[in-house]
Amino acid sequence: MWTIARKEIVSNLLSYKFFIVIFLTVILIFTSFFIMYRDFNDRLSDYDIIKPKPEEPIAVLAPNPLSMFSKGLDEAMGRSFESTVIGITVRAGQKSGNEVFSFFPTPDFMYIVKVVLSLVALLFGFDQISREKERGTLRLMLSNSASRAKVLVGKWVGNFLSLSIPFLLVVLLGFSFVNLNRDIHFSANQLVRLALILCVTLFYMALFLSLGILISTLTRKAAVSVVALLFIWVLMVFVIPNMGNLLARQLVDVPSVAGLSEKRNQIWTREVLLGMQDRNWEDHYSKINREEGLLEEDYRNKFNRLVKLSKNISRISPVSSFVYAVTDLAGTGIGEEDNFKRAVISYNNNIFPEISAAVMDRKPRQYPAFQYNYRELPEVFARGTLFDMSWLIFFNILFFALSYLAFVQYDVR
Amino acid sequence: MEKFEPIIKADDLSKRYEDGVLALDHLNLEVRPGEVYCLLGANGAGKTTAINLFLNFLPPTTGTCYINGIDVTKDPLEAKKYVSFVSENVMLYGNFTARQNLDFFAKLGGKTDLSREDYHQVMRRVSLQEKAFEQRVKSFSKGMRQKLGISIAIIKDAPTILLDEPTSGLDPKAASEFLDILNELREEGKAVLMSTHDIFRAKDVANRVGIMKEGRLVMERTREELQYEDLVKIYIDYMRAEPLSA
Repeated sequence: MWTIARKEIVSNLLSYKFFIVIFLTVILIFTSFFIMYRDFNDRLSDYDIIKPKPEEPIAVLAPNPLSMFSKGLDEAMGRSFESTVIGITVRAGQKSGNEVFSFFPTPDFMYIVKVVLSLVALLFGFDQISREKERGTLRLMLSNSASRAKVLVGKWVGNFLSLSIPFLLVVLLGFSFVNLNRDIHFSANQLVRLALILCVTLFYMALFLSLGILISTLTRKAAVSVVALLFIWVLMVFVIPNMGNLLARQLVDVPSVAGLSEKRNQIWTREVLLGMQDRNWEDHYSKINREEGLLEEDYRNKFNRLVKLSKNISRISPVSSFVYAVTDLAGTGIGEEDNFKRAVISYNNNIFPEISAAVMDRKPRQYPAFQYNYRELPEVFARGTLFDMSWLIFFNILFFALSYLAFVQYDVR
Repeated sequence: MEKFEPIIKADDLSKRYEDGVLALDHLNLEVRPGEVYCLLGANGAGKTTAINLFLNFLPPTTGTCYINGIDVTKDPLEAKKYVSFVSENVMLYGNFTARQNLDFFAKLGGKTDLSREDYHQVMRRVSLQEKAFEQRVKSFSKGMRQKLGISIAIIKDAPTILLDEPTSGLDPKAASEFLDILNELREEGKAVLMSTHDIFRAKDVANRVGIMKEGRLVMERTREELQYEDLVKIYIDYMRAEPLSA
């Protein structure tokens, strides 16, 4: 097996394809690191400006260094949430200074891996068997006492190492570059999360390599493999993940933001009119706060059902599992954002009596500072990441097992 | 010659493809150590199918093929330890040098302790030019690739060699050199089974010649018998004869 693995590595090192693909990947990953690093620095500066003074009832989260790898919902979480007597007011946060992000997907590490490295992994796998057949080397190889299983495993291992070693080196270099900035600190927990993100990334790349090899064992010509794989790649990377959301919206009825706003206005109008009659504003503010809370809770529950269904449908494609696992590990995923918003609501509920009293007394008060602890890793794993990682491993095993079955039947003539 | 047990043996070997075509019809043949057996026949006669069955690239429909007494279908990996193979169009790995190709296939054949000089010696033996040893194979002519293919077979040092139309497309000089090597291998005691279209060279090199038609071995002659018969005439007569299935 190692003879074949070594041959694959040497063969890759001697090919122009390898150097072009690796060079492009290196450029892309470095560019991504550089852009995200600059963006993170800008957001750090923004945070310095918007971070609350000790007495302010404002909840705002410091930029998360792992968002450089996976931006996810970090920008939504980076906004500032002020608790007022009329509820939570959302203000501007640490916005990306780079306006290009509004036009194109953020070129973070996760995006590069999701789109580019999946394609690169396919490029490594697409002709593994069909090209050998075309060259006649498959017959020569199998005329020796190397079993088909060994040939397949050898090819997989050789190509996986050819792909993953340069990738890990580039990531390590990029990470060292980011660490040169003394303002950016990665805690031990964040380093563990980063290692796990890399682990998930390797599973993801391995999966596409296995898929490439699988299609290669199902076709007779490398050119046919390319067309088939391109179709599957578009389906997996773009179509299925987006289809999940569309389908879920047909199945779960979530009120629109405008509808929610209208209901809020109705509560406000009613309570203000009643307040004008009895002048018992404290009670009315409490009622507004309670009813808005219930409204918000109902909306969030429905929205969470929609999100859960979208996630489950989109998981048909392992690309979605990769995105969910990486964003959750980075602390920029849907689960973390939900947890953060709940923490903001809880903070608001806790200090609301004081805010309300301060309005009535017309005296400024000191409020407790907002504290947010990211979910611990065991919780992150329990809430979906373990499933997503297992799902990626399952697809790896499935694609490889199917490759083996196809290769055992493969007509080498 | 008969003092040796056959090392290559087809016992009532048949192959019918999924589309119903009977490619090989009850083939019986034996090749002993130090013997070159040439299978002649038109395209589709079943020569390559026979070789594919010996290499377990295909399962037989009926019958058994043996290499060194091992049933190829039952224990293909063990049987393949005793076989070297040279195919019609040896493309090899274009990005590798001749030595790197040789090294890879030698290791795959279980030869893990060979030196650079060992590889050079084998390539010299097949008359590959010295300057080509460290050249990338993609610049090689077909003749050079074929020589490298035979050196891959030689370096494995297996007792049997299967050749599938190895001289097809070679110029006369290259084909003649190729047959010289085959003669040497025979002298070393290798059993060689070669499928070919080349009647003249088959007559020159073979200890026995079999003519195949429509999957059947329709004629077999020894070298001694062919001294008194015209192989070309026999071959053409068989090819012109009515189809066997008629």
